[in-house]
Amino acid sequence: MTVAGDKTDFSSMVPTETALVIGGGVAGLQAALDIADQNFQVVLVEKTPSIGGVMAMLDKTFPTLDCSACILTPRLSEVSRHPNINLLTYSEVLGVSGEAGDFRVKILRKARKVIEDKCSGCGECVPHCPVQVKNEFDQNLGYRKAIYIAFPQNTPLVYTIDTDNCIKCELCVKSCDREAIDLSMEDEEIEIGVGAIVIATGYELFDVSQYRRLGYGRYRNVINALEYERLINASGPTGGNLLRLSDGKIPRSIGFIQCVGARDVQKGVPYCSRVCCMYGVKNAIMAKELQHENVKNVTVYYADIRAYGKGFEEFYQMAKRRFGIRFIRGRVAEVVEDPKTKDVIVYAENTQTSEFLKEKHEMVVLCPGILPPKGLKQLADELGLGLGTDGFISVEHPASNPVDTRIPGVYVAGCAESPKDIPDSVAAGSAAAMRASITLSRGGAS
Amino acid sequence: MKQTEYTPNIVAFTCNWCSYGSADLAGISRIQYPPSVKVVRLMCSGRVDPLMVIESFKNGADGVMVTGCHLGDCHYSTGNYRTKARFEALQKAMKLMGLHPDRLRLLWASASEGQQWAEAIIDMTERLREIGPNPINNGGGGK
Amino acid sequence: MASAEEPKIGVFVCHCGHNIAGAVDVESVARNASHYPHVLYSTDFMFMCSDMGQALIREKIEELGLDRVVVASCSPRMHEPTFRRVVEEAGMNRYCYEHVNLREHVSWCHANEPDKATTKADDLVRMAVARAALLQPLDIKTVSIEPHALIVGGGVTGLRAAVDIGSRGYKATVVERESEVGGFLRHLDVLYPDNEKAGEVIGRLRDAASKLDNVTILTDSEVVDFEGYVGNFEATIMNNKTGKKTKRKFGTVIVATGFEPFEPEGYYGYGEHPDIITLAEFEELRAKGAPLRASDGKPPKNVLFIGCVGSREEGKHGHEHCSRYCCTAMVKAAADIHDTCDEVVVLYSDLRTFGRGHEEIHRHALSEHVIFSKFGSKKPTVEVKGDEIVVRWKDVLSCGNMEYKPDLVVLTTAMIPPGTSENVGKLFGLTRSADGFFNEEHIKLAPLTTHTAGVMIAGAAQSPKDTTDATTQASGAAAKAVTLMVQKEVEIESAVSVVDDTLCSACHTCVTACPYSAISVNPDRDPPVAEVVEAKCHGCGTCAAACPSGAITMQHSTDDQILAMLEAYLEPSVFQGSGK
Repeated sequence: MTVAGDKTDFSSMVPTETALVIGGGVAGLQAALDIADQNFQVVLVEKTPSIGGVMAMLDKTFPTLDCSACILTPRLSEVSRHPNINLLTYSEVLGVSGEAGDFRVKILRKARKVIEDKCSGCGECVPHCPVQVKNEFDQNLGYRKAIYIAFPQNTPLVYTIDTDNCIKCELCVKSCDREAIDLSMEDEEIEIGVGAIVIATGYELFDVSQYRRLGYGRYRNVINALEYERLINASGPTGGNLLRLSDGKIPRSIGFIQCVGARDVQKGVPYCSRVCCMYGVKNAIMAKELQHENVKNVTVYYADIRAYGKGFEEFYQMAKRRFGIRFIRGRVAEVVEDPKTKDVIVYAENTQTSEFLKEKHEMVVLCPGILPPKGLKQLADELGLGLGTDGFISVEHPASNPVDTRIPGVYVAGCAESPKDIPDSVAAGSAAAMRASITLSRGGAS
Repeated sequence: MKQTEYTPNIVAFTCNWCSYGSADLAGISRIQYPPSVKVVRLMCSGRVDPLMVIESFKNGADGVMVTGCHLGDCHYSTGNYRTKARFEALQKAMKLMGLHPDRLRLLWASASEGQQWAEAIIDMTERLREIGPNPINNGGGGK
Repeated sequence: MASAEEPKIGVFVCHCGHNIAGAVDVESVARNASHYPHVLYSTDFMFMCSDMGQALIREKIEELGLDRVVVASCSPRMHEPTFRRVVEEAGMNRYCYEHVNLREHVSWCHANEPDKATTKADDLVRMAVARAALLQPLDIKTVSIEPHALIVGGGVTGLRAAVDIGSRGYKATVVERESEVGGFLRHLDVLYPDNEKAGEVIGRLRDAASKLDNVTILTDSEVVDFEGYVGNFEATIMNNKTGKKTKRKFGTVIVATGFEPFEPEGYYGYGEHPDIITLAEFEELRAKGAPLRASDGKPPKNVLFIGCVGSREEGKHGHEHCSRYCCTAMVKAAADIHDTCDEVVVLYSDLRTFGRGHEEIHRHALSEHVIFSKFGSKKPTVEVKGDEIVVRWKDVLSCGNMEYKPDLVVLTTAMIPPGTSENVGKLFGLTRSADGFFNEEHIKLAPLTTHTAGVMIAGAAQSPKDTTDATTQASGAAAKAVTLMVQKEVEIESAVSVVDDTLCSACHTCVTACPYSAISVNPDRDPPVAEVVEAKCHGCGTCAAACPSGAITMQHSTDDQILAMLEAYLEPSVFQGSGK
């Protein structure tokens, strides 16, 4: 059993045979698997209650429209069952000392108040919990109880109690046949010795409410792209039905606004977020695919359509030709709400025709750029890593050593290094695994 | 007489590498086509024994497609050359069996040709609607 | 365990969220399946591939003693290996597992006809149940892995992979067609985003490789023949200078054959004037010193760049893709030479400066007063009038008709697959996508492995990209190769063909049919009969179809199994009538 339950003996792990992977998103999972498949031990630390990262929240992925859960869940399974991977979810790295071949890592194992070895994930406790709070996995659009799993394929399939909202009524404790709930559980600090570290801490979305003129937070029918993903996802808050938040109706006209919090020097995000053009096109296609005849008008307002990867340009052309998505080159000036219908009006200039547009949509989706996750700076400082001006982890020689940080034995994969899509994150995860395995096999030397 | 109401029953023998991939790609690309074809997945189109095609018609299939990689691209290097030779022999046999030659079709499709897969089925379904169900066994018991 | 008695079949129909259930009535398909012969258990489930779905299968195998399992879900290319592992964990032989595709072949392509889609789903499940009843367990075969990786291509990608594999302690042999390693980077001066010198990057990797005893680099060499299977490949490498051929054994292969820069004959006056050159040619001039005009040897003063040359041309086979590297390369080149020029103009269709540091290069070029002009669907025209070059286009943003007389035109051309890629594909069993680059196993989650076990792809061979993305893939592919070599042993497909001695008439038809010489007639037997060399058999089944006596059985793809599927599909009443 590799869910690192309470019985895992970390002190018996040999540092030069063990790697630490920080982050359980798709890059971290790939790195963990590739290192573990080489017969090394891996400790995978993930701060949320489940591995899967942002990819677990998505509905479909570009450019194939593969269902994200379908391609991810077997990976989650593989990681959780791998004899060489020790999964520490709901845990965080507090500090690191030492050097390649012998890093000493302090890890905080937050108290889930549920005993991992005993919980079977049956969910019997849930109906008994009287506390209902917003579900952060559903981007606060749906609800969960204080005792919860993030999503149906939560890995490990073990419940967690949100102590900030738990009222300690103990109704769940009484309902659990396996006596798996222990409200007296405390946070625990452990120390492990590892020979190499892979940082795969992923990303966060830009807070689009910073663009007041685009109406997010003020108008119910202006949402962000991740909220849209949850709305169209079959395991999301509406069971996969794309509905307006103001009145539950199917929006017949949808506007997607690109580059919100990207390529904007004034908002401190001068860099390109690399994935938003493609996810915007994908979301636009999904609106048509899901709703068929109901959605008449899907418009994407963009600066450049960066369809650069394998199959991307073809996907973009398909959006135009087969799905009839309208693409308007122009930054949106303002979004205004019609107070009666709650429809939203987009003011933009079509820079290709010099026309000023006033387009009425029943829903507007803002596509945010991506940022380094909170806590990355502290982690970088702790490890002695450099950060670029973009806030992501620096790599010394991007051309020849694209995953090597300036600290020997510490590697970076996925969006922790800079924005990238799933295939590039997966390739980077494997690359970091390769480099880490060299460090381990050489006892710490590079 | 065009029988637009019936959905022809078509058996499609595919190879695991190219033509099965083209069928997958048609679905991945969400290209819509009639649900007339049922795929029998084999490793190579060279596995298709003429007996299987004949049995299909005997059982009442309205059409049979033999599909595989393009000549020269066979995953097993020469398998599909055999397929081609057998197909030509089968075409002659169609006459002897009293079946319309358009009921048997050969399709070379690479794994990146989803559009071609869908088009071949749309085309064949249309044609089978024109020529009617298999006179042997009244189009079989399949719906 | 499979027994000679009645098979016990379990059927599991997946909703796949609303991917399948949105068009197919999965509950009814599962209900119908429960009536098929030998089906002991039939159910539908939300996500069969999830932990819970997998646990359900294991649970039912144990509880009911199932010895055949059918899962109806997505494409077998996605999850057949997953479910084979699941049944094996519960003690059932993996070859007693049958997979049905209800997603790519049904719900995704018949979304508008749910009734007919459900009928088709029923048909496919019925066919699978009929086949499952006739499946037989097969012994699992393992093979050893030669701890030696073959790396085809000595560019930056191949070198990075070689250094990684060698550093990890395994042997790597790089086969490079040209006289020196380095690939395309030999023709470049500096690389974006950090201005690393291309020559230094190659030098670093080459030096690291030379310090590793287990890395061999063969220049002026090509792989001319290749055969075998994962862990046991044999490559014939020819030295083009001496003509000498050597055979070597390898366990894994990384194909890193890179790209070719497109020669834009017929585009924008290329070939009509010596000062209309490609970006590749421009960079080569820069690498040698400063770019000078070919016509008079003087430095250019007014340079015009045109983007997307030979890329993104809808309907033009092999030129529909975006070449990814070019916008940033073009913008950087424009910014770099601006100091020595009066004016630099960049004509672009879209500006895809997407990578880390790329947008900053774009902004820098703007601050250097490089002039950017977007052309629309109507491409610019280039007219050569004697010594003069006149470029005309419509600037989209100002709607103005523009005319410019540059003294140097630089065409930013596409990255296309090298001319050898068709042969390379055939040699290593790789297929190519519509853009001509090699296909990976899965475009999202497995970009570095291919459908041919043991053969990886990396760098531009997989699709156009810059150096950073190429070396990332190189290290990633190296990890895949090392994983195999660390194992020392790997499982291979057990389905091979088998000859029934009693039926074989030694007619030799199978011998000529087999592409791998894996079957031959043994003259020492009396009477002589055909025999299969299992290690060479790839499991295609051509021999089985060819045998006029029906003496050859293709395991896991037998005549009985196939005919049972046909009968189940076309004669369901007969199928259902022969009940439990």
